[in-house]
Amino acid sequence: MTDSRKRYLQVPQGTEGVHLEEAYRHRRITQELNQLFTQWGYLPVETPVFDFYDIYEPLLRSSARDVYRLIDREGDLLMLRSDITLFLAKQMGLWLREEDLPTRVCYADTILRHQSAEDISKNEFFQTGAELIGKAGSEADLEVLLLLESIFMKLGVASSIHLGSHQFLTLSLKEFDETELKEAVQAIRNREQQKLYSMIEAHASARRADVITALFSFIGNREEFRREIMRYEGILHNEEMESLQYLAELVEQMEELGYARDVRIDLSEIGTQPYYTGIVFQVYQAGLDDAVASGGRYDKLLSRFGFDCPSVGFSMMLRKIEDQVADKFGLPEDIVKVEGETFAEAFRTAQQIRRTGGIAIQ
Amino acid sequence: MSLNLESAGPLTMALPKGRLFEQVQEYFAEKGFHFKFEKRRLVAHDESGLLKIFLVKNADLPTYVNHGIAGMGISGEDVLYETGLRFFQLMRFDFGSTEMCLAAREGYGMPNTIRTVSVATKFPRFARDYFYSQGVPIQIIKLNGSVELAPILGLAPYIVDLVETGNTLRANNLEVVDTLKKINVHLIANPSYYKLNYRRINRFVEDLQPEAQNTSMDSTIEESSEAGRGQLNKN
Repeated sequence: MTDSRKRYLQVPQGTEGVHLEEAYRHRRITQELNQLFTQWGYLPVETPVFDFYDIYEPLLRSSARDVYRLIDREGDLLMLRSDITLFLAKQMGLWLREEDLPTRVCYADTILRHQSAEDISKNEFFQTGAELIGKAGSEADLEVLLLLESIFMKLGVASSIHLGSHQFLTLSLKEFDETELKEAVQAIRNREQQKLYSMIEAHASARRADVITALFSFIGNREEFRREIMRYEGILHNEEMESLQYLAELVEQMEELGYARDVRIDLSEIGTQPYYTGIVFQVYQAGLDDAVASGGRYDKLLSRFGFDCPSVGFSMMLRKIEDQVADKFGLPEDIVKVEGETFAEAFRTAQQIRRTGGIAIQ
Repeated sequence: MSLNLESAGPLTMALPKGRLFEQVQEYFAEKGFHFKFEKRRLVAHDESGLLKIFLVKNADLPTYVNHGIAGMGISGEDVLYETGLRFFQLMRFDFGSTEMCLAAREGYGMPNTIRTVSVATKFPRFARDYFYSQGVPIQIIKLNGSVELAPILGLAPYIVDLVETGNTLRANNLEVVDTLKKINVHLIANPSYYKLNYRRINRFVEDLQPEAQNTSMDSTIEESSEAGRGQLNKN
């Protein structure tokens, strides 16, 4: 075998092959989640493997460089599916009619992104998620958060939901121009408090800059959050205060329903994508290098594709947590190897076992 | 029901071998965190049991933190910038800072911005971004060390490198043409690790603050905006 042949027998970075036990486990987890989605009335959608690049380009922000692009025979620039949410938004924007709303959809499929050598453990190969399209307001936000929490309860893994507000970002930094906002977003996401403070102080009083900076650094439970924002009454504008109260109320409702195992209000969660407009959240788990799920409300995204309606949803990188639930979704232990005088005899016995729900090899 | 996801064990931290290590060790000792590495060992605990510390090569440190193997790390902006990875910057230290400089043979002067400038450097990402932002066309030659040789031997007229005292430059008849950026040393954290352990990490960061700025997060805002800024200066 020549050297180049050996090289081509490797799998390039950014994709993977999964087999046997691991593939079985992956399918079982996917099935479990599909069942849960169905029980909640979320029906599956399939998105195209590639689409025109240009329509997504303004939405990609820094992830643009991780997208695989290709040119088709007519010379159009295409991109491979790197984020199902985006492809889904376009399809929904094209298909949906007013009378279909609200619509609940779910998906589970492979995605393709470039991953650098330093980043290869990110496991961003398979994305699953759910979207509630055409419903605004707290009930829709609550439904999606409850569904998200239900997934982690079903998988039996401890996880921590960090809930923030993109709306608060827009309200509190509304004097910022586009470039400033971009820089501020980066400072908030990287917890560069001094930089953020200086940026806000250029537009507002030192006191207000203090308060806004402190809020964007805040992480805590609902009670701690309520205490924190009470102190800022009179400094925050009414709309800002309302957007913050809204978060506390959502968590309170989750608690009342028994679905807030570990929910933290975290205003540094401002959305990993530029299209969010309301609540935003990420889910963290011990032992993982990055958030396992993320989502939020995106009321303007679908209008980019010709259909204006509010939406909220989330997606998760399922492969990241599959190792943690290996025991729960492992291979079945009771596989019967049927012996028989003849193949036909063994086959008949095996069929009997299969009819009663067992697993048999003849 | 509330689950506590914070790991019960020590907080994990990567420290860079070499120039910075002793300064970090000394600074930590001043703040009450004592540790030492047994001969040839690369893992140590501090005496209080709060920290589990890994000793890694400077350039590899961001990789360990990015993967969450070490939840935190101490690193210069030069190294962090080259990786292009995202970290929380929890605190800036007042030691170990250097300057990223453009240097050339004595008397060579600033580059002619119309022609493509050849630059030899260990920091290709920084050099590229810096010159692009200035609108200067640049050709980068990546080196791994002894960058000062490049102008002397004629590989490239300019170098971009860290300059502390300038002694090495002078010894090789080179001089700083322009200071591009001050490079500070930061305490960084893997974002996910921080989010899961933020209470303990915040307390730790507070303990590491220089005395004058050692005010608590909660009290500052209420007391006065001045105090609030004092707290913010921590980062």
